[in-house]
Amino acid sequence: MRSIFQGLAPLFLFAAASSLAPSVAEAQGDASSSQARKQDTPAMAGNAWDARAIEHLLNRAGFGATSADIDAAMGVGREALLARLFQGSDAETKIFAISEPKRPTPEERRAMSEEQRKETYNRLRRDDNRQLLEYSAWWLDAMADDQHPLRERMVLFWHGFFTSSAREVKNGEAMIRQNQLFRTHALGSYADLLHAIVRDPAMLIYLNNTKNTRKAPNENLARELMELFSLGEGHYSEQDVKEAARALTGYTQIDAQFIFNRRQHDEGSKTVLGVTGALDADKLVDILLEQDACPRWVAGKLLEHFEGRVPPAERIEDYAKFLRKNDYRIDAFLKRLFDDPLFYGPDVVGQRIVGPIEFMVANCRRVGVIPPGNVIAAAATLLGQQVFGPPNVKGWDSGRAWITTSTFLQRGNLTGMLLGVTSMEDIFKEDPSLMMDLDDSGDGAMSGESKDDPMDPMEKPRAKPELGSGGRAMGAGLRQMESGRWRRTLDLRGRCRAAGATDDAAIVDRLAQDLLAVELSPEARVALVDYLRSEREALGIAEGKLLDKKAYGESELRQLAHLILSLPEAQLN
Amino acid sequence: MNIDRRQMLCGAGALAGLSLISARAMGSVRLAASPVFGGEVPRTLVLLQLSGGNDGLSMVVPYADDNYNRARRTTRIVEKDVLTLDNYRGFHPALTRLRAKYEAGQLALIEGVGYPNPIRSHFKSYEVWHTADPRGRSSGEGWIGKLVNAAWPESRDPNLVVHIGKNVPYSLYSLTHPPASFATPTGYKWAGDDTRRAALEKGGEVCEHGETEVEREPANNLEYLRKVLRDGQASSESIRRAAIRYRTKAEYDEDELAQALRDVAALSAGQIGSRIFSVELSGFDTHSDQKNRHDTLMRRLDASLSTFLDDIAGTEAGKNTLVVAFSEFGRRVKENGSNGTDHGVAGPMFVAGEAVKGGLYGRHPELAKLDDGDLIHTTDFRSVFATLIQSWLGVDATRVLGTKYPLLPLLRA
Repeated sequence: MRSIFQGLAPLFLFAAASSLAPSVAEAQGDASSSQARKQDTPAMAGNAWDARAIEHLLNRAGFGATSADIDAAMGVGREALLARLFQGSDAETKIFAISEPKRPTPEERRAMSEEQRKETYNRLRRDDNRQLLEYSAWWLDAMADDQHPLRERMVLFWHGFFTSSAREVKNGEAMIRQNQLFRTHALGSYADLLHAIVRDPAMLIYLNNTKNTRKAPNENLARELMELFSLGEGHYSEQDVKEAARALTGYTQIDAQFIFNRRQHDEGSKTVLGVTGALDADKLVDILLEQDACPRWVAGKLLEHFEGRVPPAERIEDYAKFLRKNDYRIDAFLKRLFDDPLFYGPDVVGQRIVGPIEFMVANCRRVGVIPPGNVIAAAATLLGQQVFGPPNVKGWDSGRAWITTSTFLQRGNLTGMLLGVTSMEDIFKEDPSLMMDLDDSGDGAMSGESKDDPMDPMEKPRAKPELGSGGRAMGAGLRQMESGRWRRTLDLRGRCRAAGATDDAAIVDRLAQDLLAVELSPEARVALVDYLRSEREALGIAEGKLLDKKAYGESELRQLAHLILSLPEAQLN
Repeated sequence: MNIDRRQMLCGAGALAGLSLISARAMGSVRLAASPVFGGEVPRTLVLLQLSGGNDGLSMVVPYADDNYNRARRTTRIVEKDVLTLDNYRGFHPALTRLRAKYEAGQLALIEGVGYPNPIRSHFKSYEVWHTADPRGRSSGEGWIGKLVNAAWPESRDPNLVVHIGKNVPYSLYSLTHPPASFATPTGYKWAGDDTRRAALEKGGEVCEHGETEVEREPANNLEYLRKVLRDGQASSESIRRAAIRYRTKAEYDEDELAQALRDVAALSAGQIGSRIFSVELSGFDTHSDQKNRHDTLMRRLDASLSTFLDDIAGTEAGKNTLVVAFSEFGRRVKENGSNGTDHGVAGPMFVAGEAVKGGLYGRHPELAKLDDGDLIHTTDFRSVFATLIQSWLGVDATRVLGTKYPLLPLLRA
């Protein structure tokens, strides 16, 4: 698999010749460099940082480090690695060119019949929807191909921070342009982004600012701008919201292009957070950026995202000061964070519950098969994270909120589909015994239906399984996942053989090492080794011989991998 | 079968209550031992969240108030359309079946519900509602989480609290009793054969000194995940069984809320140990085009909830189920310039069920006396919660809410 770290070989040689030589030699000399690394506490004193620290960094800065990534990055100096993270890969050439819809001119419109007009606009809408789906797939591809993982992660972060949803915006082109805005400023200045977001067409539609006029102010954007995009609740008054709404009047859009409608703009004097003047959107944003609450809010969100915990107040304060001093530069902020020993501390490493997109992309990469982006997007939607469809203006709640009893089970099912060991029918077809069979405890505490009244399964069937708002596209994505033509390259047997893992425990260790970001608990390891042994013995194959013949092994390993990726440990990084 | 597997794993005593079978056995023990629950079917509570800020003035319309008619030029509901309750107020025109419930004495309407120092942020205001605490999340678990700890601390039943829908509300957040949650029971399972399921269960479990960590609060995310996985595995079969076996003559719409309430009816009938259900109807943030959007929501609410109440009417579940509807805030009295309304403060709540003593409660806020354009609340929502906790579920409400709130006489004696 291509990865930005595979291109590091020249740097690696360079580093080997430099003062870093001893640690590099150690890393190289240790054939099992990525073996058993997860037990270790990361060490990053001076320049000698170890595999665990690198794995942690790559997991948090990107979308799931593979063993190959880690091995490739081992021994490279921290600075070279960081530089690469912030620059992305040279090989990166992907761009998505928006195709402008061919809207009829007013003259053409007038010449059309009612029927033609309807047809034209229906077609425009269909094309617009299709383009957004293409873009979603393109974006997931970009996350998975790993040419600039840190940027893609930040684009996803901003998408959850400056939220807009295609469901309300109903304009795919505007959603794509907003995402491209996040891409432009992903690692740039938050201040620039805040200035840009108050003239972003998708945002103006999403938060009703297109309806915000001098005569009839609409507070929606003004409120969320302060509550969610800059200060946090409690750092402004209701009067500030009303006055800020006036400053934002006239900021609107036509056909996914920003326009400033001077006639609808309230040019009168406003007072926001103690500053009085004929404020417009830019002056309003400048006032927000000057508040102490602003860098605190942004720093807190970034720390929580990358560290996976609610940061201590003094840590937020420290990073807020740094952020402000560095003109709100996100790259400076993250460089400092990735260099901070506390980021590699035991309460951070391996403690974070990963979100659905990250879960799917990371598992695709670690399993070693990358389905098309629309397939990954469909899976993530089923798990509660639909790109361009966040649940509300606050974006997605993270951490434990990702995990419910059902999303946990479905995470397992989707990795089963990824590995080709679970079908949609396995998931959705109901077990007939549930209908017929009375409860096996024998206590007879049933729903009041009598045993001699067998249920006709055709009577009032339940609604079809709800696949979420992605609807048809998602169903298609999952069916594609099931068909899995892209799965040809999956070869767990070859991978284990190449690593010399042939007996049961070694196979379990190898796969757990490759597929998990954290160490397998001893109990889970015992359960998995027991499982593999009983599977092997059922085939009548002796210990250590499971992978000898081509006819055996792969299917058992895929089942084993499915179990590993269904474990609690697989939800963490 | 389950018990044997568990016993092999960790020893018998520590694991009672984890499997489906023993969960049910525990359930009956618990009920028998608990003085507050008389009959076979325990009392349950259904939380119906109207997300986005329901415009109370469009749900219970003060049609005779000039202040209302002046403030709502484009979004008002005129007298001839209102389903009048008296000479001041009436239900939204779409709430025909719920009005019938009201007239049958099965719906209690509590007006002017809110809390002091109201917050107009959706999220922060929901945190206040969900924790029943002005500090929101920083105060700890959700109010249902606190209720569960107070009411059923020893329960290990994974079906005790059930959320049906996409986003689990914070009210259900509990370190010791995470809710079972799903959008639909179909496919609510880990799809693998028995051998693999057994290996997964074993792999997700850690036993120390014969005690699984279900006995205590999870110390970290890994322990929390193990708890959720175990609950998911344990609830999956019983919930699908109850859902698939449920038969009804009621005609539920192909509507998310209607289907979720159908599942509530199914799970109640299946007696799988559920005491709290949570469902949601969202889309109430009507900053623009309010009339169309709110009308649609009222139609969905009326059809879904009435069908549910009709479905369980006359059954044990009917006697023992209470539905409480709430929203994070009402909306501004004066409409905005987009044919909509912005975030406001107080609004009506209602409680429905056969055990309810129907009628009007609380006091309608005065439209002539606003606080900076907003209604002033007349009843604290925690009074309603306290009533549900204490009068309905028989638990000392101060143990959940921390403070004593006046109870409302919402229930039949």
